[in-house]
Amino acid sequence: MERRNFLSMTLGALALAVVPASVKAEDYRKAKPTVWSAHTVEDAMKNLYGSATFIDSGVKVTAPKVASNGGAIPVDFSADMPIKSIALLQDANPEAAVCVFDANKYSVNKYSVKIKMAKSGTITIVALGQDGKLYGSKVSLDVALGGCEG
Amino acid sequence: MKIKATLKNGVVDVKAMAKHEMSTYNMMEKKTGNREDANFITHIVGTVNGETVFEASTSQFLSKNPIFKFQFKGIGAQGDTLEMSWVDRKGKTGKGDSKIK
Repeated sequence: MERRNFLSMTLGALALAVVPASVKAEDYRKAKPTVWSAHTVEDAMKNLYGSATFIDSGVKVTAPKVASNGGAIPVDFSADMPIKSIALLQDANPEAAVCVFDANKYSVNKYSVKIKMAKSGTITIVALGQDGKLYGSKVSLDVALGGCEG
Repeated sequence: MKIKATLKNGVVDVKAMAKHEMSTYNMMEKKTGNREDANFITHIVGTVNGETVFEASTSQFLSKNPIFKFQFKGIGAQGDTLEMSWVDRKGKTGKGDSKIK
């Protein structure tokens, strides 16, 4: 029953999301709930964009080499090409997804956020270009004091 | 929300902070024994003159009191208002606005 509910919810959310796609942006938590429960970056990418590989070009990501406080790690990222959306994923926490930004004609596609990481790991930024291709970049960092337990 | 929006060379530069605990499933399991007590912002939107200029779907792994820096162009003159609002996992909402300087 649970599986059934989940499936119908997913389909319903997808149907809702598909119809106004051209006029309204997307709530990826409702449209793609499996992205947020995925434990690996690869699974999160597959659930979000349908592929776990990207072209290593056009996307920049910077984070400190060593983060003293894993509870608030500054991450800057940007995409050079016109994109539909851009996602921040990492492999240091129980689940991989941190955030997905939707882009439109007003977007400059330059973002900064602060994230939590429980241990050292790698941050992956992946963007869906308007040409339908995936572009991305990775950065690894050491986390001195993990930020998910406190 | 605390929001600062500045127009420079045709691009509006925004720094926004939402006051929120952003508790993870593991944090709440330790604190209350119930993973379902976890609460965090799941969706946040920014609009100018009724047009969406920022939209993010978010997880428990943004920092406490998460900060969002972003930019937009082609809309928003000095004096226009940037409105932002968020909703969390429990359905609570928060909002804020700021005039573009």
